[in-house]
Amino acid sequence: MSNSTLTPAGKGTAESTAGTVAAQPRKSFGHWFRDKGWRHLVGVVMGVFALFPLAYVLSAALSPTGTLVSANGLFTTVALDNFIDLFSDPQKPFAKWFMNTLIVGLITSAGTVFLGALAAYSFSRMRFTGRRFGLMSLMLLQMFPQMLGVVAIFLLLSGISDVVPWLGLGSQTGLIMVYLGGALGVNTYLMYGFFNTVPKSLDEAARIDGASHVQIFFTIILRLVTPILAIVGLLSFITATGEFLIASIVLNDPDAQTLAVGLYSFVGDSQSRSWGVFSAGAVLAALPVMALFLFLQRFISSGLTSGAVKG
Amino acid sequence: MVDQLDTPVRSRTSAPQKKTRRSPDSTAGLLAKILLLGLTDAFAVYVLMALFMNEKWLILAVATAVTVLINWIYLRRGGLPAKYLAPGVLFLLVFQVFVVVYSGYVAFTNYGDGHNSTKEDAISSISMSAQKRVPDSPAYQVSVVEKDDVLSLLVTDPDGGVRIGTTGEPLEDVEDAEIGGTGKAVGADGYRTLNFNELLSVQQEITAIKVPLSEDLDDGILQTADGSNAYVFKPVLVYDEAADTFTDTETGVVYADGGEGSYVSDSGERLPTGWKVGVGFENFERAFTDPDLRGPLVSVILWTFTFALGSVLLCFGLGLFLALTFNHPNLRGKKIYRTIMILPYAFPAFLAGLVWSGMLNQEFGFINETLFGGADIPWLTDPWLAKFSVLLVNTWLGFPYMFLVCTGALQSLPDDVNEAARMDGASAWRIFRSIKLPLLLVSTAPLLISTFAFNFNNFNVIFMLTGGGPRFSDTNMDIGATDLLITLVYKVAFGQGSGRDYGLASALAVIIFIIVAVISAVSFRQTKALEEVNS
Amino acid sequence: MKVHTTGTTAFGRRSFALGAVSVTAALVLSACGGGDAAESSDSTDLASAGATTLTMWVDAERSPALTDVTARFKEDTGIEIKLVTKDFEQVSDDFITQVPTGKGPDLIVGPHDWLGKFVQNGVIAPIELGDKAAEFQESSVAAMTYEGSTYGVPYSIENIGLLRNADLVPEPATTMDEVIANGKAAVENGAEFPFLVGMDPKQGDPYHLYPFQTSMGVPVFGTDENGGYDASKLELGNENGAAFAAKVKEWGEGGAGILNSNITADIAKEKFNAGASPYFLTGPWNVPLAQEAGINVVVDPLPTAGDQPAQPFIGVNGFFISSKSQNSLAATEFALNYLTTEAVQDAMFEGGGRPPALTASFEKAAEDPIVEAFGKIGADGVPMPAIPEMGAVWADWGGTELALIKGQGDPAESWAKMVSNVEAKIAK
Repeated sequence: MSNSTLTPAGKGTAESTAGTVAAQPRKSFGHWFRDKGWRHLVGVVMGVFALFPLAYVLSAALSPTGTLVSANGLFTTVALDNFIDLFSDPQKPFAKWFMNTLIVGLITSAGTVFLGALAAYSFSRMRFTGRRFGLMSLMLLQMFPQMLGVVAIFLLLSGISDVVPWLGLGSQTGLIMVYLGGALGVNTYLMYGFFNTVPKSLDEAARIDGASHVQIFFTIILRLVTPILAIVGLLSFITATGEFLIASIVLNDPDAQTLAVGLYSFVGDSQSRSWGVFSAGAVLAALPVMALFLFLQRFISSGLTSGAVKG
Repeated sequence: MVDQLDTPVRSRTSAPQKKTRRSPDSTAGLLAKILLLGLTDAFAVYVLMALFMNEKWLILAVATAVTVLINWIYLRRGGLPAKYLAPGVLFLLVFQVFVVVYSGYVAFTNYGDGHNSTKEDAISSISMSAQKRVPDSPAYQVSVVEKDDVLSLLVTDPDGGVRIGTTGEPLEDVEDAEIGGTGKAVGADGYRTLNFNELLSVQQEITAIKVPLSEDLDDGILQTADGSNAYVFKPVLVYDEAADTFTDTETGVVYADGGEGSYVSDSGERLPTGWKVGVGFENFERAFTDPDLRGPLVSVILWTFTFALGSVLLCFGLGLFLALTFNHPNLRGKKIYRTIMILPYAFPAFLAGLVWSGMLNQEFGFINETLFGGADIPWLTDPWLAKFSVLLVNTWLGFPYMFLVCTGALQSLPDDVNEAARMDGASAWRIFRSIKLPLLLVSTAPLLISTFAFNFNNFNVIFMLTGGGPRFSDTNMDIGATDLLITLVYKVAFGQGSGRDYGLASALAVIIFIIVAVISAVSFRQTKALEEVNS
Repeated sequence: MKVHTTGTTAFGRRSFALGAVSVTAALVLSACGGGDAAESSDSTDLASAGATTLTMWVDAERSPALTDVTARFKEDTGIEIKLVTKDFEQVSDDFITQVPTGKGPDLIVGPHDWLGKFVQNGVIAPIELGDKAAEFQESSVAAMTYEGSTYGVPYSIENIGLLRNADLVPEPATTMDEVIANGKAAVENGAEFPFLVGMDPKQGDPYHLYPFQTSMGVPVFGTDENGGYDASKLELGNENGAAFAAKVKEWGEGGAGILNSNITADIAKEKFNAGASPYFLTGPWNVPLAQEAGINVVVDPLPTAGDQPAQPFIGVNGFFISSKSQNSLAATEFALNYLTTEAVQDAMFEGGGRPPALTASFEKAAEDPIVEAFGKIGADGVPMPAIPEMGAVWADWGGTELALIKGQGDPAESWAKMVSNVEAKIAK
């Protein structure tokens, strides 16, 4: 539907502004700036805005005295003490936390993408009783202030522990399940919106060719919305790895904890906080996110989808 | 698989009839289905049996129904949407809907500090605390001994006298006790002395032993908590099971169940430990009549909306702008720019909040000291600047999310439209405004609404930066210029003399939820997305 | 276990073939599951007999002192103690939520001012110290006592003191006026600040200012006949309150500049360690870093602002046993008989650096003049109120002091307003 409604609109505007972009082959600085240069300028300015506060974190991570607030003392001393401390306390097995976080994050993110995509497909492509109600409830559910959520989730998992211990308190599986409970929330919405932008004529064509709904889903729709799948995957990975409250009540054993919970233990007491070590941990914890993003960029990058849509 | 093709898109009348009985993957698909459903059922049966063994009948019934339902969904013909929705909805129901329903339930109880558990727990806890050691009574050394499966305490008093007794059997003298190195009796004829490991295996029985000191119960009872020392205790409060009352043994005051989850005396004095009971609509009544809430409520509500709307617009605007900026097919360094833009999202928000509050410090912060050359700008303590700062920091925290989403959205836009328009000579701005933005809004509008809802309840960023302050000077309540409804709820429900009041907090949360839900539902109606939904 | 698993899997496959779960079959199968469940419950009993495991919650700050101690306890008794490190801000609330479900820990470590909340919620059991009570410093046992019962085994006592950089101000002072004068003189000689105390720019810091307040005769609560705090006697609003409020404003940013709401705890620490101030009002936790930074630190008694002694709040750390512990005997054995020994209290001091509550251990630790000085100050201190009503005081108390420090409002008026507001909250 989107295709058909939009093409005329595009044409209309195109005619009215014809001539303004009469191609000028001369590659002047002005042209370069209008085309790309300003983008670099924005990139640098926003880069500073985005990174500056993080410079404090990095500075604290590299400073043996580890304060977070000093305005003038950025990177006055650079040492790896905090990173060494991070890996040397057997009570706080950072390497283990790191692995736990990766496991929980990746499984959650894969599960979220899968469950969310299934639901988004049915909302986008099928018409059934309760569909609108479903969409609306999904949205409203997210709006409930989660202040008491932690108590409820604890009681729930505590009940589950009584029946299936390996799914309840103290298990990462349990934690992942709680996270998957959120799979149908905002992420489904995100994907639903994008599924709607894939022309339905494609499904029709495939169905006429004899494809089943499963085939259409896996081979056509999912391929076309790969960018958003990648982004939902990344977002849910970040959410799952950064989540603190639920993880801290579900995982009690230090060996099973995730990074978010473990790292807080460095700054839990207001009287003496190891900001340096905490910052070092936070810097390392950001690495998987960056790595995942760089990995997913190939799915996000343009060009991949357009051909398929046309085909 | 194909045989379930009977409920495709309804709006399409030209939907093909069931043409093929078999598509190439149907065997593999069927196998996958059998396997998945089989595994699910295996797990379900395991859970059901565990429930059966634990005698949890209600949950067993529900779980059985769910299992049957799942099998029905996947085994019947048709009902295609349910097949796609079931897995996600199952998790959603268990882990999200339950939370909401539970909070709704809590709103009708007095759950909170002082009303933390069941009545039985409260009674046992009151009784436990009421056991006071008799003043100036001696300390006894004890050994735990066993005879005919009955545990007794072998007691050595400070003078060296040895006696034995157990629950219901007052102490009596023991002849020829075996005395250990420290002068403590460690054994007696006919009794077997338990070693430390044995003590541990029956520890709950040992701590439950109550040996009357003599026939006269007023002398007190002897109890041990560690199996080696015992003291004489007398309760200051005695529980009468028949009357369901506690009686103070000194003053004779009777505390009876006052119906509100605690024991109350006639003069209105309450025992500190109570239990959770339903209170009907009391919490909602309090929510509407609490003067703390009524005071500057209007300004708090206004600010809450401003903050939520402002955050959405700023984050989305900035995110979209950046996404467009870096969405150039051959921009050098694009990857690096994009990676940098998501970094604020990859760090713990709490750490960032802390850094920001340091940077915004009026006297020592980087912004005043370096950027503004030593200016004295009260970023967090002037009401208007504090609002600005909170929005600024929230934008910093939130724009990477919108950047990512918009980047993805831009990729999904059909390029041919774009190209066609460009061919026809439309300017970049016109292409964006007339083609890309409407399309982007179709896919992101629902998201903007949920972002609004999230920020409406964005407790953390406010608490990290300003704690709701600076306080209003025209009220003596603890309410300030950057307080959102949700921080107000926190302050009102958790900052009182009786401690944290989850019941009141839930009631307030429910009220706020209704407000936001109505607003969101109305605005949802007006988005293009809803037209799509309605179709 | 094996029978069980294969049984269900087989059933799972068959169930598909049959088309639906048959409830009767499930019941039949539950026979083999039944034997299995019984077995597993037996085995947990055996586990508790053979090797009891206690779970203890501790926050990161207090855990280093305990790792060695728990390892030694295991060697001595075979009882393993699983230390679970939790976030300090959350650990007490989690404890309150989790104990009633029976899934909470056996023990929890923390400051004594949690007591009121714990008792109110019925989550801890009283513990009779017996003769051992006499071996502890009196104030520590008093702090662990709530409504006439002792609920915790104390292990360390903490309070604030006045750190002085002896290179900048060589002589101790006894009153706040002298301190201010010394500080100003130091500033004239090149120091940056006359006096430092870490403030929370959001909520002020009544805790650190409390000794001045008590020295002017304004405690928070009055006490009942047993010496415990009485919530019905809010002393904040007594006749001296306004004078103290005026003093705070006088010291604040608009006046002498002794109190500065922009100086956070981190900034204060950094500046003092850089030698920028002669005084730093803080606790022992900041001393080691200052010494490392080469500051000639001396701990002075707290200066007075009025004619009464300057009494800081003291915080006593201790061990509490859950009222629902299934292992209360083992937990008591650990807390009461093991942690109270001199050797263990010594070890905890070495591991965690907090002044021991056991008198004998404290005396050994007090060979260090810093520990001794803080101990002397603490002897005059008053326990931080543990009554739940204290929770209603902090926000308004701190907020009002903060406004005064910023030079806002009339002292007497805003103090009176604060008092009436706190009274209203307590009455709820």
